[in-house]
Amino acid sequence: MIAPSLSASVWEALVLGLATGPVCLASCGPIVVPWMLILPNGWRLRSHQMTVFLTARLMGYLLFACAAWWAGSAIPHAWGGRAWAFGCVQLLLAIALVIYSLGWPKTRSSAADRGSRLIQIGAVPQHGRTGAATLGFLTGINLCPPFLVAGVRAAQLGSLPSALIFFVLFFAGTAVWFAPFLALGLVQRNRAIATVARITAALLACYYGFLGASTLIARIFYV
Amino acid sequence: MSSHPSTLERPPAFRGVGKSLLLTLPILLWSLLMFSRAFLQPRHELRLASVVVMLFMTVLFFLMMRTGTTYRWRRYFFVALGLLFPVGFIADLVAVRGTMSIPIDRMVSGDTPFCYMVIPMLVIPAALTRTIIFPGSILPTASNPHSIAIMIGLWLALTLVLGKAWCSYACFFGGIEEGFASVAKKPKIRRIDPRLRLVPWAILLAIVLLSAALFEPVYCMWLCPFKAVTEYPAVRSVQTAIQMAIFVVLFLGLVIVLPLLTKKRTQCAFFCPFGAFQSLFNKINIFEIRIDREKCIDCAACRNACPTMAISKESVQAGRTLSSCMKCGACVDACRKHAAVWHVKGTATGPSSERSRLLFLYGAWAMATMFGGSVLANSVSYLLHFVM
Repeated sequence: MIAPSLSASVWEALVLGLATGPVCLASCGPIVVPWMLILPNGWRLRSHQMTVFLTARLMGYLLFACAAWWAGSAIPHAWGGRAWAFGCVQLLLAIALVIYSLGWPKTRSSAADRGSRLIQIGAVPQHGRTGAATLGFLTGINLCPPFLVAGVRAAQLGSLPSALIFFVLFFAGTAVWFAPFLALGLVQRNRAIATVARITAALLACYYGFLGASTLIARIFYV
Repeated sequence: MSSHPSTLERPPAFRGVGKSLLLTLPILLWSLLMFSRAFLQPRHELRLASVVVMLFMTVLFFLMMRTGTTYRWRRYFFVALGLLFPVGFIADLVAVRGTMSIPIDRMVSGDTPFCYMVIPMLVIPAALTRTIIFPGSILPTASNPHSIAIMIGLWLALTLVLGKAWCSYACFFGGIEEGFASVAKKPKIRRIDPRLRLVPWAILLAIVLLSAALFEPVYCMWLCPFKAVTEYPAVRSVQTAIQMAIFVVLFLGLVIVLPLLTKKRTQCAFFCPFGAFQSLFNKINIFEIRIDREKCIDCAACRNACPTMAISKESVQAGRTLSSCMKCGACVDACRKHAAVWHVKGTATGPSSERSRLLFLYGAWAMATMFGGSVLANSVSYLLHFVM
């Protein structure tokens, strides 16, 4: 297969990102929507958190670009570690969502705090950069269909810098589609919405946990 | 089945026989229209069943008019619908396919009957990609007349007019748990955390997001309790075995055991995402239940009577029910001071409440006859076929 020129691949990456953006939106929706709804009110805070999320997502993209370039075009079809990577990422996403739904465990807790945090509606968890960065990075390396298409293309490029540039532009194209998530800031955060978002995060954690565990179990027992 | 306490408080004859008959006449005519096609069918069991169901629906409406109460009579219909729907549905499946499970080729050919529970999951994928993520046909076919377009059109029209009344007058599934909730005289579990009312919203959000991400109706694949008594994917792998186990556990827990213990419709109140979706339409719907603060003595009879916990202390203070109100009429019938009344938005409360009730009931009962009536007739015809 002929490697595309850098100038051609620049446009291709951008257009690929823009064109597959709705799929990215749908793929990352189950992670981003509950997370944004759990965040306290305030455009500034939400914008800041989204910036951290997208930056970490870019890091994930670049890491994957390196891996894709290193492994060549074999990654999407025959790479033996794909199931492992997919299963582990799903499990880590599940853990991150559980933490977001329940909050970080405290080392010392009073008797009153020992009940389920999920039902302490309205109690705002701490929102440092770690949570947003973790979710961003994990969604960045999550193997969704547009991501695999970009991985194939990046693997065909001649050099590592070309693969990195390809993924940066692909990221830029997809990142545009994340702007609507900021509109969730219009939803007034109240006790009920925060609780619904936390329960949703817990439910989605169950799903991702099941998906990750079943992928890994299938890999262990059937391969 | 325990009688509803409220009915004892009302006068036994709210209206005279003549006036009640006159008010029932439109429903009788509507029933004749709805069952007219069934009367022409060659199967005599179906003709007989249609007559029986038509009389059943008409008599219940007459009793609503005569007694001035709603909940008790509606419940007879609704429980019958819930219990008989699986009979007819399973009989149809066995007659056509020979099994309750859906083979993959049927799914691919779009022969899966459309279920309204899927509607919330269709919205985002359809908006983003113009794709319907359900293996049914959009337009009706000879083998599948219940197409997606017809069901969504009917549902939307009825929901805009009647709001969440769908859940109390048309849902095929709610009657099963209402039946079990009616068995015990007193609830074994009285204290239920009101925050559980938020769970259906969370399930709705989760399934809508996951359905958009995975391009499949996640609720049908993983969470529908009623798969246990309707149709389910053929169990041919570990995954489908797990899915089936989830369906059965949810059905036993939410539809049988918890309603028996709490006397509430627990699946509707604390699980059903379609019910949460329907609640959104209660906001733009003209029919509602109002609580007159001047008459209310805060006796909590309405809160205790509500089968879905759609009345809270705060909502009583505000003179309204919560948006999850299904307009079943339990609170109105339970209120000894007549503080809880039917109301049409934009009109005065008080003397016009009975007119509001009538206006609502004509629409709701017409919907019940249209959806539930045909389902009941089909199921009764199968039972007659086995008996005769």
